Amino acid sequence: MRIAIVTTHPPSKGSLNEYAYHFVRFLKTKVENVQEIILLLDELPQGGEYPSEQNQAQVPVRSVPCWRFNAPDNAIQIRRAVREVNPDIVLFNIQFASFGDGKVSATLGLLTPWLLKLDGRKVVVLLHNIMETVNLKSAGFGNNPVLEAVIRLFGNIITRFILKADWVAVTIPKYVEILESKYGAKNALLAPHGSFEEPTDAEPNPMPGGKPTVMTFGKFGTYKTVDLLVEAHAVLLKKHPDMRLVIAGTDSPNAAGYLQGVRERYAHVPNVEYTGYVAEEDVPRIFGEAWVVAFPYTSTTGSSGVLHQAGGYGKAVVLPNLGDFAELVLEEGYDAEFFEPTSSTSLAESIAKVIEHPERQQEIGLRNYTAANGLPITEVVDWYLIHFEELLKKQQPS
Amino acid sequence: MSLQINATEQIIKIAAITLTGRLDAFEAPALRKTCDAFIANEFSHFVFDLTDVAMLDSAGLAVLVSVLKRARLKNGDVRLVWPREEAASRILKLTKFDQVFVSIEKSEIVPRGF
Repeated sequence: MRIAIVTTHPPSKGSLNEYAYHFVRFLKTKVENVQEIILLLDELPQGGEYPSEQNQAQVPVRSVPCWRFNAPDNAIQIRRAVREVNPDIVLFNIQFASFGDGKVSATLGLLTPWLLKLDGRKVVVLLHNIMETVNLKSAGFGNNPVLEAVIRLFGNIITRFILKADWVAVTIPKYVEILESKYGAKNALLAPHGSFEEPTDAEPNPMPGGKPTVMTFGKFGTYKTVDLLVEAHAVLLKKHPDMRLVIAGTDSPNAAGYLQGVRERYAHVPNVEYTGYVAEEDVPRIFGEAWVVAFPYTSTTGSSGVLHQAGGYGKAVVLPNLGDFAELVLEEGYDAEFFEPTSSTSLAESIAKVIEHPERQQEIGLRNYTAANGLPITEVVDWYLIHFEELLKKQQPS
Repeated sequence: MSLQINATEQIIKIAAITLTGRLDAFEAPALRKTCDAFIANEFSHFVFDLTDVAMLDSAGLAVLVSVLKRARLKNGDVRLVWPREEAASRILKLTKFDQVFVSIEKSEIVPRGF
């Protein structure tokens, strides 16, 4: 089959680029099922071009830049591109703010799956978050209750349009249940996030030695904020003066300048390192040095790629006591120390429970390693391919 | 004209695997190893009896799906005897693999009539 994927992808720094990178990395190894992958990508700034590299032993991958973050006409541009490449299946790798941080551009872009269905396409949407669980304030949308209510109403309408796709895949069981109970959806399915790392016989390294290092990884400033974590770090420094805090990543596209503000506000707190954008080749080192990976989130928007990555490296984690994380831990066999999401004291205590207790650090790290290896993303890709095959079978005359 | 007899032998190797207990990330590797051995021995048809599986998570399901994928590549298939416990059937329903796997009754595991 020939698969088109509407997504961001490195070197674009748009949201979900990393998930796309790993998904495509494994999809292109499925030569027995896939003939061609066409990436329908966001255009790079300053006329940048996507690198083209083909491996004869893998599925050919073609990059077609055809949409722009915040452009109002993305649906039209993507529809046109799909007509030109004429794939068997179109997969969307999106979340509610994928096409823009403006309400109009975000909404219009999310109508694209429905438009493609009108054209008779087979369409599958991987929706990383659902409106019902997004904290609009912390995600950068809506500052007053009336506006928030209006956005939620539009969110409900947009969700119904997205559900016109053949399948809507979500990464958390609760999301399937919400789509089924609230919208009566029969086409929502669970496709777990999967671990980015390949299963390996190599031993995980939950206790790397060196200075005690707390690491957080992501795009910060909306629902992932580091203020609480820096405050917790300041508390812990009193007992562990050599402790490092590594803040790995960049501002969220919806919160430009956030990390610079943090640097300035907490300039007096020592041993805080800001890495900026982390290139793929540096990811193993960043995770490898960590004693514990912290998730200073105020709300969640879907399953956490970082949690699966931390598991892949056999790392202990501290998680906010939020419903989605609790469910993930239960469903996928992870372990963690939990903290109250608004309390730096609680966060500091959770970190201390890990770094001051090597046996607990080891226990959580090894359990997370087992959980992450239980479902690597290469197998999740197979799940999609099987569902794609079933979809294509349905359209064939019997 | 005398009778022409053209007899062929058709052997379909079916691996029938009965599971009891939890099938999760920690137990899945053992099942994967068992299935890998069957596949290495040219088995392409599998029946998993999940009747007494108390809990099935996504890592456990991943083993069943992996076997399905490899079986189909050899023109085989995987059939399931449905689990009794909701904690085991839930993941099949959530992932919609209940619409992909063919389910059979326990009495159908071994073909009758011979």
